[in-house]
Amino acid sequence: MTYAAYAVTPDRQRAELATLSAPAVLFTLAMIAFPVVYTVWLGFHTFSSTGRQSFSGVGNYSRLVADHEFWHGLWVTLALYVLSLALQLVLGIWLALLLFHAKRLPGIVRSLFISPFMMPPVVAGLMWLVILDPSIGAANYLLTRVGLPPSDWLASPLWVIPTIAMIDTWQWAPYVALIVLGGLQSLPPSVYEAAQIDGASPLTTFRRITLPLLLPTIVTATILRSVDLLRFFDIIYITTQGGPGNASNTLNIYGFRVGFEFFNIGYASALMLTLTAIVFGVVLAFNRLRGAVAW
Amino acid sequence: MSKNALATRVAVTAVALGAITTAASAADFDWKKFQGKTVTFLANNNPVSAALLTYKADFEKLTGITLKVDGYQEQQMRQRLVTVMNAHSDEVDVFMSLPSREGEQFAAAGWYGDLSAMSKSEAAADYDLAGLSRALLKAATFNGKLTSMPMNIEGPILYYRTDILKKCGVEPPKTIKEVEAAAEKIKACDSAITPFVSRGLKPAVAYTFSNMLHNIGGSYMADGKSNLCSPKGKEALDTYSRLLRDYGPPGVVNYSFQQISALYRTGRAAMSFESSNELRTMMEGGERLKDTGLAPFPAGEAGQVPTAIGWGMAVSAFSKQPDAAWYFVQWATSPDIQKRMAVQGIAPPRPAVANDPEYRKWIDEQPVRQQWQAALDVLASRGSSEVGYPIAANPESRDFIGQAVQDLILKQKTLDQACADADKGLDALIAQK
Repeated sequence: MTYAAYAVTPDRQRAELATLSAPAVLFTLAMIAFPVVYTVWLGFHTFSSTGRQSFSGVGNYSRLVADHEFWHGLWVTLALYVLSLALQLVLGIWLALLLFHAKRLPGIVRSLFISPFMMPPVVAGLMWLVILDPSIGAANYLLTRVGLPPSDWLASPLWVIPTIAMIDTWQWAPYVALIVLGGLQSLPPSVYEAAQIDGASPLTTFRRITLPLLLPTIVTATILRSVDLLRFFDIIYITTQGGPGNASNTLNIYGFRVGFEFFNIGYASALMLTLTAIVFGVVLAFNRLRGAVAW
Repeated sequence: MSKNALATRVAVTAVALGAITTAASAADFDWKKFQGKTVTFLANNNPVSAALLTYKADFEKLTGITLKVDGYQEQQMRQRLVTVMNAHSDEVDVFMSLPSREGEQFAAAGWYGDLSAMSKSEAAADYDLAGLSRALLKAATFNGKLTSMPMNIEGPILYYRTDILKKCGVEPPKTIKEVEAAAEKIKACDSAITPFVSRGLKPAVAYTFSNMLHNIGGSYMADGKSNLCSPKGKEALDTYSRLLRDYGPPGVVNYSFQQISALYRTGRAAMSFESSNELRTMMEGGERLKDTGLAPFPAGEAGQVPTAIGWGMAVSAFSKQPDAAWYFVQWATSPDIQKRMAVQGIAPPRPAVANDPEYRKWIDEQPVRQQWQAALDVLASRGSSEVGYPIAANPESRDFIGQAVQDLILKQKTLDQACADADKGLDALIAQK
């Protein structure tokens, strides 16, 4: 028998590869596709509070358009998203620059800077709940010590969103910093040497060189935080459950309560699919932006 | 009397009579009948299940059944239950349920197995079904079907600091009006202490508010419509929110039992409406044992109509082995186990257990426990299980009640606006089939 008899043609190789990887591909597709398809199916059905199920077409989506609580939830979700993202990007970039330039900072201090995002959200939520308790919390104690009036923090309809944004920023700004720090470390030194020779000030160097070169990294961090922030749930559920009143009732919290507290799985699915579409839209928009700022 | 009420009465009486006749016939009860089977128990990780599961090994030894415990926090347990039940899965055999909250809903959805039949055909001689609280059995009976067996009895009671009341020259309040008067005096006498605290968190409000509404003489529904805007309903909303706004801690709109217990235990609250179940948490560390007094929920114009609820054990309608599941339920709600749970601070839903010498000895060790038992006796004898609207969408109805109370605490709406908005949403819920 000649060697040619054993030779594998490209077509045969492709067929073998396809056959061998098919189970894994099918399994992965099923794991991703089934829950999505099932949720879409649920979204076209109505479940009464007694569990009775009936096909309702786009009924859940019509209800959603007319539901004041949905629009309020959307507003709360977007307000929290914009505020938290802005804070996290500004503080994250600042922290990254600090860590980048403070070369002599011991490793343990660097680790402490970025440790909050390693904390489980439940622990972080409970910890802040105690700190911000208007009666026995440390936050009001400190405010009154420096002569400022105490705040109701999470119990105030006015302050609850900024307070939750502050908690999330405390936890996730270090994560943004870590991504930006990676970007800073990969910037070409030659550009900085040229800027130095031309006599550029540190501020000009930052504005004209560092920031534009970092934009792809910042957009990546923005995409990652956008996905998390738009479906923000854990800290809110632990601290306020959407309250006081409905002041922190984001779409995700609203959908969870409709589905698992009021047992209307159909309407909850429609709410969650709408939220998923919003997340997809935002991610697609930022992906395009990333392409535009790539260098 | 409505058809449902008649069916309930008939069923409870039948269950009680059945218990008497079955006790004799079940003298030689075979606990090993389902040896080798595995029963899955979906549990809420609360003090009630924690006390029960201390004796898990005893059950397995007695029956030869393996007990698989699937435990979650309350909300996560419901989340899992809804998923399992919607799929008609037999993964869960026994689950914990609050009839006052989800009973109507789960019964209408057909998720509960019928225990009235099981308890008649398979009951040990010493089970004493008739010895269980009739009020709780009634609360767990829907359309003539007994859907769960009571594990404990609980309800909101008044906790107060005897030392602070004495210092401020206030007698322990016996009526709601006296609570407000006492809070006013305490506020003037000691500005460092929170005069009064109760639940302000939206989904949690209904538990304590319902007792106030009933004591004042109000009702949730009249002629098939929401009745929150009736004069008594408005009075209850106004009084409850005023007490919390004027005398409660800052941030009370986020207060549920955890925050209230912590505030009281650390000595920062003078009076509180909170669950009898929280006694152990409130007394943790022993600091409050000597300066705490307990009393039933103070009376209103309609006297005392205490809220009495309890966790129940239900058999899933989709269980493939309901008989083995029932064995676990009857063991867990038997007089012997409930006596053992009682000395761990789980109030027994059996009046006979409350008179047991061993339990009485435990009660008599502390005056606080004696007052606790006295308050529980009032719950057991006069209790109503109506927490929120008696409709299938009960959990959602509690949200509207909580919203109205929060709107008033935060002064976001007038009393008329708050109750009208609540009534509008509640009428839509009531109309749902």
